[in-house]
Amino acid sequence: MTTILAIDTSTDRTSVGIIKDGVLIAEQFHDDPLAHGEVLPRLVSGILAQVARIDSVAIAMGPGPFTGLRVGIAFGEAFALARGIPWAGVSTLAAMAVAHKEPEFIVAIDARRREFFCSHYKNGELVAAPRIIQREEVADFDIPIFYEPATPLAIATLASTSGSITSPIYIRKPDAYPAPKGVKFRLWTQLDLVDICAIERSVYVDDPWSMAQFKEEYAGKNRQYLVAEYEGKVIGYSGVMQVGDVCDILTLTVIPGFRRRGIAREFLKRMIDWSRNQKVAAMMLEMRLGNEEAEPLYLAQGFRKISERNDYYGPGLTAVVMRKELR
Amino acid sequence: MNQSSEPLVLGIETSCDETAVGIVRGRHLLANVIASSVEEHARFGGVVPEIASRAHLEAMPAVIQEALKIAKVSLNDIDAFGVSAGPGLIGALLVGTSAASGLAVGLDKPLFGVNHLSSHLAVDALDETKPLRPAVGLLVSGGHSSIIQVNDFATDIRVMGATIDDAAGEAFDKIARLLELDFPGGPAIDRLAVDGNSHAIDFPRGLQDSDYNFSFSGLKTAVSRYLQKTPDAHRADVAASFQEAVVDVLLSKAIAACAATGIDSLIIAGGVAANSRLRALAAERTAILGIELRTPPLALCTDNGAMVAVMTSLAVSAGIKPSQTGLEALSTASVNQPIWA
Ligand SMILES: [Zn+2]
Repeated sequence: MTTILAIDTSTDRTSVGIIKDGVLIAEQFHDDPLAHGEVLPRLVSGILAQVARIDSVAIAMGPGPFTGLRVGIAFGEAFALARGIPWAGVSTLAAMAVAHKEPEFIVAIDARRREFFCSHYKNGELVAAPRIIQREEVADFDIPIFYEPATPLAIATLASTSGSITSPIYIRKPDAYPAPKGVKFRLWTQLDLVDICAIERSVYVDDPWSMAQFKEEYAGKNRQYLVAEYEGKVIGYSGVMQVGDVCDILTLTVIPGFRRRGIAREFLKRMIDWSRNQKVAAMMLEMRLGNEEAEPLYLAQGFRKISERNDYYGPGLTAVVMRKELR
Repeated sequence: MNQSSEPLVLGIETSCDETAVGIVRGRHLLANVIASSVEEHARFGGVVPEIASRAHLEAMPAVIQEALKIAKVSLNDIDAFGVSAGPGLIGALLVGTSAASGLAVGLDKPLFGVNHLSSHLAVDALDETKPLRPAVGLLVSGGHSSIIQVNDFATDIRVMGATIDDAAGEAFDKIARLLELDFPGGPAIDRLAVDGNSHAIDFPRGLQDSDYNFSFSGLKTAVSRYLQKTPDAHRADVAASFQEAVVDVLLSKAIAACAATGIDSLIIAGGVAANSRLRALAAERTAILGIELRTPPLALCTDNGAMVAVMTSLAVSAGIKPSQTGLEALSTASVNQPIWA
């Protein structure tokens, strides 16, 4: 005789169930991608009224959007601690796969930011480790893809039959990289304009922005300009501007002696964060064709080429337009 | 009062990078355990919310168990749970509110969502020898700079003023960087300033006429300009004069708040409360004016679980209803909401 409380917050759905001797006796769920924290305690306290005691807790450990995922794990672990009972974690994707008998299929969880966490199954076996795919790639699959959340019964069954997973399954790394050593990033001030102009003239010899242009940018609204400093000296700068529903990257410049140290990546990351906060749909940028240093950086941060503009930087100089969706 | 009749409360704090659990009985501290992820953030040059949230989840069960062990109580003994429900980093707060909800639902005990800011000041109540009485709170740390009127921690507390740009602690960190001092900047400036003349340079005080709000960005710019113009400046004088400007404006406004409200008690809390010049000048000025100065021990000034536990204990004693099941973590909560409905 064993009674299991199953908890899953790894999708937009907050789902709980009670399974007694392998049979689901109560279940509740609520669909809201932003309310796991408020919903889960209510669902659990509601469902507890139906049983005398709980013997163990089964928790879906992801992958899933991080913030919601952690609600289920933190709650479930603390609940088990409070009751002095064991808990076991299972892979959410594995629990989702239980429901499907097709010879080959994919189970997928919306990872937000136009990406999916997914697992590929063939003849009942996991083909490759769970991974992340772009929304655009989903259309390329010619096998069925299932998105339905795992059932509490599947979670409880897996928890009692397979080994427990005790840490969350994150797959995606946190959006943080070590800041380049000794380099400080900060908002620009008027005092930086002279240094910036000097760098601009040395880097973009053919067509630098003038002091007047930078002053105009400095006075402008809906922009974020940053500088990177090393030993008190400006070594790079970046600028991004919101125009309607898109944020445009205006400049990203690092002086030659400081390239390939992650400074541009840090600028780009900060511009992406700022743009996300502006709640725009996308970011765009124009890049000189053949800019081998910059292109992999943009691709790695999810920018995709959408068009080319001939003669944009002068005769024969083609600009590549790149775009990154934020919603 | 018989000690055992007072509520045994466990409080959880996860609003920034400290995973902390405190246990109190009434106003008596039993345990205060803190696990910090600060070292993981150091290489990123600031707190990374996702890394903080991951660290909270990992540390939480062990921190709870360690606090229970130190307090020599079991979870079954706890009368009420408390949790910092805001303000703070939302992903970080949610780990705390979810764990606290798991404990409360699991044991069918009341849970109180409490305000992180009012809890900072409520640690003052942990000294049982001092009667509770209305106070003006000066809350100064890397994340906060506010003046708060406390009539009653659990029922009547409101913000009088706050910083409009940087927190005081941030200003210390930034100036420390300009002076090439180590992180964290507060203690480094405090040490350097000992050898300096605090009246050597007349740095601006900022927003002097404007009620109880602070601004430290003008001061920061002034120090930066001064250092550019005066490359051979005596660094200890700069540190001392900067520190004097910050401390002077913090105390002037806090004391003005005492005068305006007719309250003759001042609580100074938050990480910057550790600053020796702030403590010395506060003692000097309050003594002249007959204001009682209350400064919690340094270990209770930075983010901790004991402040949440005692805040909760005060709410229980005041007969306030527990928060509803599934209380909402609010990243931008105002101090005017001390206990979640
Ligand atoms: Zn704090």
